[in-house]
Parts: sequence; C-alpha cells; structure tokens
Amino acid sequence: MKTNQTKGVVRLLTFLLVLSLAMGMAFAAGAKEEAAPSGPVSMTIATWTSNPDQIALLDSFVQGFAAQKGIEIDATFESIPFAEYNTKLSLELQGQNGPDLFWVLETAAPAFIESGLLANLNDGMQAYDPQDISSDALELWSKDGNVYAIPFSTSPFFILYNEDLFAKAGVKTPEQYAAEGAWDWEAFKMASKTIKEKTGVWGFQTVDGQGYDARILHNLAPIVRSYGGDFWTDDGQVLINSDASVAAVQLFHDMVYQDVSVVPPGNQSDFFAGNAAMTVGQISRVSKLNDAAFAWGIAPMPSGPEGESPVIGQAAIGAHSKGKQAALASELVAYMTNKDSVAAMSGIWPPARKSVLESEAFLTSNKSVSKEQMQNAVAASIKTGRVLPSHVKYPQIEVESKMVFDKLWQKNADVGAILDDVAAVYAKYIK
Amino acid sequence: MKQHSLKANHRRDAIIGWAFITPQMAGFVFFVLLPLVSVFLYSVQEKNLLFGTSVFNGLENYRLLLADPLFSNSLVNTLIFSAGVVPLNLVFSLLLALYLGGGKMGTRFVRGIIFLPVVTSGVAWAIVWKYLLQGGDAGPINWFLSLIGIEGPNWLFEKGWAMASVIVNRVMKNLGMNVLIFMGAVLNMPGDVIEAARIDGAKRFTLFFKIKLPLLMPTVMMVAIVTIIGSMRVFDTIKLMTDGGPEGSTMVMVYYIYHQAFRMFDTGFASALAVVLFLIVLVLTALQWFSRKRISFYES
Repeated sequence: MKTNQTKGVVRLLTFLLVLSLAMGMAFAAGAKEEAAPSGPVSMTIATWTSNPDQIALLDSFVQGFAAQKGIEIDATFESIPFAEYNTKLSLELQGQNGPDLFWVLETAAPAFIESGLLANLNDGMQAYDPQDISSDALELWSKDGNVYAIPFSTSPFFILYNEDLFAKAGVKTPEQYAAEGAWDWEAFKMASKTIKEKTGVWGFQTVDGQGYDARILHNLAPIVRSYGGDFWTDDGQVLINSDASVAAVQLFHDMVYQDVSVVPPGNQSDFFAGNAAMTVGQISRVSKLNDAAFAWGIAPMPSGPEGESPVIGQAAIGAHSKGKQAALASELVAYMTNKDSVAAMSGIWPPARKSVLESEAFLTSNKSVSKEQMQNAVAASIKTGRVLPSHVKYPQIEVESKMVFDKLWQKNADVGAILDDVAAVYAKYIK
Repeated sequence: MKQHSLKANHRRDAIIGWAFITPQMAGFVFFVLLPLVSVFLYSVQEKNLLFGTSVFNGLENYRLLLADPLFSNSLVNTLIFSAGVVPLNLVFSLLLALYLGGGKMGTRFVRGIIFLPVVTSGVAWAIVWKYLLQGGDAGPINWFLSLIGIEGPNWLFEKGWAMASVIVNRVMKNLGMNVLIFMGAVLNMPGDVIEAARIDGAKRFTLFFKIKLPLLMPTVMMVAIVTIIGSMRVFDTIKLMTDGGPEGSTMVMVYYIYHQAFRMFDTGFASALAVVLFLIVLVLTALQWFSRKRISFYES
C-alpha cells in the first residue's frame, strides 16, 4: 500500500518534470517565432521626460514609422527621473529587457559609445539627408566616422524670469537689460539682490533646484565660461581652478552667501510656483508655465568679461545594439530625427538640422514664446553655444568631484582652494 | 521484508519532504545563494557594469580597497551611524516598552503614535523630513527653533548635522518595531520574581538593573544584533535624505557600494566592498552571539 503511494509520488514528480520540459520546449519554439513577428512589434523607449504631450509626440513618430514600414509597433515609453537616468538605464541595458531606443545625455556620450551599447546608425540615417545635421552637433555622438546616436535636441539654456516680481521691485527685466546690451552677470547679481531685498522673494533658483548637486555643471558652466574659464577641455587641460573660473564661482558663491538672494541648498522654493524671480531653463520647460499665476519672460544668459558663452544642453537618441530589434530600432532612430520629425519637435527641442534651425517656422514653433524671444534666447545661442564637457570616465568624475564641490556650499568656503581640490579630482581622469 | 518496508517508508517521507521544501529551496538558491556566490566571484574580477566586461584580477580589488580613502571614510561613517542608532534605539525602545507595558493611562494612543512611522512609506517619510529640515528659516524645525532664539543649521547640508539628522531620523522611523518586541518580553516577565524583589525592598533603580534588565537580556541581545545588522546595512535613509553628502559625510558602506556599482559602474570593486561588509557584519554578529552567555544569565 505504502509502496504504491511512493510510486504515486514518483509518478507525480515525473509528470511535473515532463510537463516543465514540454513547457520549456513550447516557450523555446515561441522564442524562435519572435524572430519573424506576425503581430505588433513591441518596443521600449527610455526617456527622462514624463510630460504626456511630449510622450504623445514621440509616439506619433513611432506610429508614422510603423505605417511607412507596413508593420504595427506597440511602443512603451519608460520615463526615468533625470537624476537617476544613467544609473538605471545602464543597469537595464545590461539585463535582458533593456529599452530598444533610449535618450542619451551629452555628458555620458563618450562612455556609452565606448561601452558598445549603442548601435551604429550610419546605414539607417542615409535615407534622411544626414548632411543636413550640423557636423558640430554630431561630433560628440560619433567615433571613427561612425554615428552612434543622433541629437534630437540642441537646446540652449536661458533665463526664465517672473515679470511681476521684477516690476514689484522696480528692476528692469532681463530682456530690457539685454536690449540695452547691459545684461551681464553683475546686472544679474544686482537684480537678484534687489528683488530679494524689496520683495522678500528669492532672486534666483538654480536649474530645477539641483544646481548644487545633480546639475552643478549646468549651473556653473554659463558663468565660468563667460568669465573665460572652463571645467576641462578636450585636449586634457583642467581649467576649473584657473583665475577666471575661480572669479566666476566666487560671484555665484557671493550671491548665495553674501547677498542671500539665491535659493540655498536644501531649500525647496520653486520658480514655477512663484517663489523665485529667475531660474535657468530650456525651451522644453516653458510648458510648465502655461498655467502660471504670474507674467513671465525669457532672456539669454548674461554675458561675462569674455562676452556671451551660452551652454547648450544636448540630448541624442540611440538604439540598443544588443536589443532584440536592433536593426529596426536603428531605422526608427533615423526616422525620429528626420526633417519632418525634427520640425515637429522644434518648439520643444531645438533641432540640430540646419534646414529646420534656419527656417522661419522654427522661430514661431513654440506658441508660448514670441518670435523675438525665440531668436534672442534660443536661435542665437545655438549658433554660439557649447555643450557641457564630457569624458569616457564622466560617471567617476561626477561622483568623486561632487564630494569636493559640496565644500563650496558653506558661508566661509575658500572658493580657490576648493576648486584646486576639484581640479585634482579632474586631473586623475582627464589626460 | 520488514526492513525493506521501512526503507520504502523512509524514502517516501524523504521524497514528500523534498517536494514540500523545493519551492522554498529554489527561491533561496536562485535569489539568495547564487547572488551571494556571485558577489564573491565578482569581487575577484575587474567588472564594469556599463561596458559589460569582466576579467579575473585576483585580489587586486581588495588591494585597491585598502588604499582607497573613500572606503575608510565610508567605514568610519558606518561605525558612527551604528554607534548613534543602536544605543539610542535600544535605550528609547526599552524605556518606552517598560512604560507602555505598565498599562498606564494613554498607553494605547502612545503605542499607536510610536508604531506609525514603521508602517509609513520610507519615501514619504524622507520627503516630509527633508521639508521639515530645510535650512535658514524655510524649514518648520528651524522656524520653531527661531521662536526660542536659536538659529538652526542647514541640517542636511552641513557636515556633522547631516549625520546627526539621519541618525535621529532612522531611530524615529524604526523605534516602533523594537518597542513592540520589547513589550512582548516585558509582558512575559515573571510577576512573582518582581513581586518578591519588591517585598524584599528593591527600589525602582535596583528593580530595573538587578531584576528586570537581566530578565530581558535575551531579548535585548536579539534586538541589539538585529539593530546592529540593520544599521550597518542602511541605504534608503541615506539615499533619500542626503545622497551620501555633504562631502561624503553620510556616505556609509552600503551607499558606497551602490555608488561604485551603479554610478561608477565598477561592479568588481563594489563586490569586494560587499564582501568586506559581509565579513564585518558576520564577525560582529558572531562576537555578540558567543558572548551572550557572559552578558545574559538567562540564555539557554
């Protein structure tokens, strides 16, 4: 009797084993079928925007591409927060379910190209007039004559300001200063200080309030470069502790700790909620002001002793070289950055395509911004602007230098000495 | 014949037993044992998460680790964090358990309040505290301090204050769980022993240190071990509140492992760090475990 029970258990286990093997074989057969899909193709696209209008626009390109190819594409957009973007993306790309297409930040470009995670796009982009894309804009995304990602956004940073607060403080607006040719960092500093003193509202908030940590380069680069300094250069020079860089960072430090006119580290006051008179933004952020309870405007970044030095935030889109749909994804990348797609995006993400950038339509592409503002704060800056420095070891540089940069955010910080320490960190990696 | 039947029975029981534990064992093997073994294997490789490369490099990661100032910094920070969290947590949770176990008025309400942070989402908790701890006069805590003439610091952005803030925050968040465990022990203390001590004239101080504390010692030891291990592995509080800053002053070991593995993509080096942390926790736990009979007379 008991022997029969044992046999029963053994039979049950044998049955389960056979069942699992059969299921495994069935899945394997299914996997083979995926090579030639008959239904919709699933594609995942990673971005750092979660704006539903922007996602809808990107999805319309995907559907346009699918219609052109005569296939169905079921696109999933994965929004990863900016501060965590590189970390989460690289983790996903090394797994089995990484996105097929993904945005790439300019600072991470060399590391991503070197990693081999980006597919070669040379063939895919041939159909869409690659000569129209500015070679300067493509430089960062190319290696040895091969293009690994295509910039869809070449977006300069500019000043967003709260017109009501300027009026209340009796200060000329940045646009008025700019029209007089007097919009420099001293005028910026004075305006910020006066507004804080007369209205009690902060004069300036750094980019998304992250100018002391995740976006420290975005925050300091416009001042540092217009003073004639820089962080490091492509030929391996470290300039963050040069006299010009120190003077520029000192100006910002004085605004935070002497004038007390800048939203300090940790303080959650927000420009978009009306709690600061100025911030730094890009054209893609203007939609956040659609329902603003105050009048606002945009102006170019102030100039320094070395003139204007606008900073361009560049972002590109690439295809995952190890993805299941790598070839199709490469074609989709090229389609998403063709002239029509770029023209449709230009009101949000200024283009790298010369034909679109130089068109009249570009200047009127964003309904919230006037033609003059688009010309002065965006188009003009694209021509003269530069992207942030990048390096194949950027992730290491960012993490290690942040610990040293942290020392700056104290009232009695010795700016020159701290920037010497930052330079020492840079020198470890920049050769 | 009988022997044969016994053997068959034994085999049958074994098969049924294995069938029952197989799902649990499979989970343990795939999600605990294999990752653990992988960490040891990765620690002897030069492995880059972004590039997907891995090359055997022997003990090079361990050599680099010993020369890395950020490693020693993270080790010191972890010890400071544990030295702050563990005593505060044990003392306050034990005192609260003794008070709440006494059945005095309002204990149910206090019990609820103390346990509330434990069931609150860690992210929500951190966001609220980041708001409360803002510097200048923006933060409600500094505003309150200014009412009594104290100028509060920028809690999360000044060295020293940032570590103190995360320690207190962590203690408040997890206090309720230890209070609950201690309360179970307090309510199970033999009443006759305490009563006898009282009749013998033991005062409150003597009663606590000579009678109650020795009776509670096995629980204290268990809670101490769990709290030490938890404090050595702290991650969420640091990630959400300070990001390891300012100047790396709250960069504890687990957060440094995260930095190395997922921000600097050096998985091999991060694995070596993880092995060192594993050994530290193992040694500390073993020390406590083997010394428990010297400290606690009621350990079996």
